[in-house]
Amino acid sequence: MSEPLSKIPSGFRYYSAREARARRVVETIAMSIFAGWSYEEIVPPTVDYYSLFEQGMGESEAQRSFRLVDADGRLLALRPDGTTSIARAAVTLFAKRERPLRLCYSATVFHQHGQSSADWRRESTQIGCELVGRDSTAADMEILSIATELLRRLQLDRSFVVTLSDAEIFSGIVENLGLDTKARDELRRLVDIRALSELERFLNAYTSADEASAFANLIQLSGKSEVFARARRVITNPRSRAALARLESLWRIIDSLGWSANFEIDLGDVSRLDYYTGLTFKIYVGGLGVRLGGGGRYDNLTGKFGRAEPAVGFVVELDALAELLAKEVDSNLSTQPESVLIPSDGADICAVFGEVIELRASNRQVRIDK
Amino acid sequence: MAELTAELTIAIPKGRLEAETLELFAAVGLRLDQHRDPRQLACRDESGETRFIFVKPSDVPVYVEHGIADCGVVGSDVLLESEADLLQPLSLGIGSCRIAVAAPADMPENGHTMLRVATKYPRIASRYFGERGQPVEILELSGSVELAPALGLADCIVDLVETGRTLRENGLRVTEVIAQSAAQLVVNRASYQLKAAVIAELISALKGVLLLGDVARASRP
Repeated sequence: MSEPLSKIPSGFRYYSAREARARRVVETIAMSIFAGWSYEEIVPPTVDYYSLFEQGMGESEAQRSFRLVDADGRLLALRPDGTTSIARAAVTLFAKRERPLRLCYSATVFHQHGQSSADWRRESTQIGCELVGRDSTAADMEILSIATELLRRLQLDRSFVVTLSDAEIFSGIVENLGLDTKARDELRRLVDIRALSELERFLNAYTSADEASAFANLIQLSGKSEVFARARRVITNPRSRAALARLESLWRIIDSLGWSANFEIDLGDVSRLDYYTGLTFKIYVGGLGVRLGGGGRYDNLTGKFGRAEPAVGFVVELDALAELLAKEVDSNLSTQPESVLIPSDGADICAVFGEVIELRASNRQVRIDK
Repeated sequence: MAELTAELTIAIPKGRLEAETLELFAAVGLRLDQHRDPRQLACRDESGETRFIFVKPSDVPVYVEHGIADCGVVGSDVLLESEADLLQPLSLGIGSCRIAVAAPADMPENGHTMLRVATKYPRIASRYFGERGQPVEILELSGSVELAPALGLADCIVDLVETGRTLRENGLRVTEVIAQSAAQLVVNRASYQLKAAVIAELISALKGVLLLGDVARASRP
């Protein structure tokens, strides 16, 4: 029995009209901002070896990719991620280029299934920047600034929140408590879902009740600069302390720019800790039930491709962003002039095209009627 | 934080947990109109700042995960089954029960190379038996699961057990407890950041009420 051709595989869709325009507008604005920060566009290949992503993203993330077999039997994948591919290019193709390397991209990525039911798209477009070769607060701040500029340019400054953390804070705590992998994963899970009473119970086995409760309170809520003082009272190990100090110096810059209304310190952000090695951040926007994007420092990634280099970057989900902005694209973000209607009915076709070509030469929008 | 409306939408599970959940919210000052039409599926609290939506328990994670509701109340049985990506800041101490495997009292313990399991929780069941290396055939039913073994459809069931009475009436007994289940407050990840202040307030108010409840129970003779 054959399927009707009207059917579209789940997780894929068409974009048209306002939505398609919104995507184009957002992408154009993003790319011009990236160029303004001296980022060079790179277009990664759509298909690559599966092992690249398995190494780069970790097995569980890579396993969500669409896989196919190459003529020689090797496993290929439709790219599930942009960063991995770019990190590999940075240390191979661009190995001899001067550092830091500033690369940006707009890349469609594919997943066989989402991480959750709200994550239904199997094809989505990520827009992002990667800064390779610098390990500094300035580099972290540069990435945050680009993301902020994009959100502000899209007139979302009244509704976006960027939450900041540092992967080393959690790693320091795990090391200090002497947790094995299984206990570490359980602690990470409890922090991630903010299950505070379970978290306290879990920690009671490793530390005093007071400390367990103080830690649970610390990760419960995000906040502004007062978080640092509270965190220092609870967290004493040097590894976490160093990360806190890094985060605090970043916060000072954010504050001095007058941006602190849109930023939060969220020490409960512990996602993808095997990937990030320093700053981590997530972007949320009012009106959108899911995360818009995020990023962070991933100093261990390029090492897997032959040369360890510090790197930091971010992505935003174009699909989610365009969906949010599609309602406003006509009023606020449109650059399209009004179209000129050219009647062709009964007219001299040569004259019609003569007129149209002339109007187009002055970049007017035309529409040939009938 | 900026334009972000502080208005909260809370998803309430219809049925088993509904009354106790509403009592809990009333105790923190989110009271519903006494005379509301029970068929009405969305309504506001008396102050008008909070909106309640009434949905099927298994739909609560869907509404919250998509951010249509900022938070919701749902049994951990539903949560485990849905595998939804939600924050779970508070266990509400209501609707306690067990998710368990139950089998006819006369079922032999061993010797089954393939187990037929009737359940409303196909994911929980297949994960549980899968981790134990037990091959199973999962029969997904939407109700009266207890009947399946007696009628020969299944060897055992995976179901929610509160008192165990329904099981006994159908000649079944609990053979393994998979997990304890209780109502959880669940929160959308984006709302947790975007409406941080109101949600924090709600959590701490609920915590306070739960603590008072514990104290009251403990001091009862």
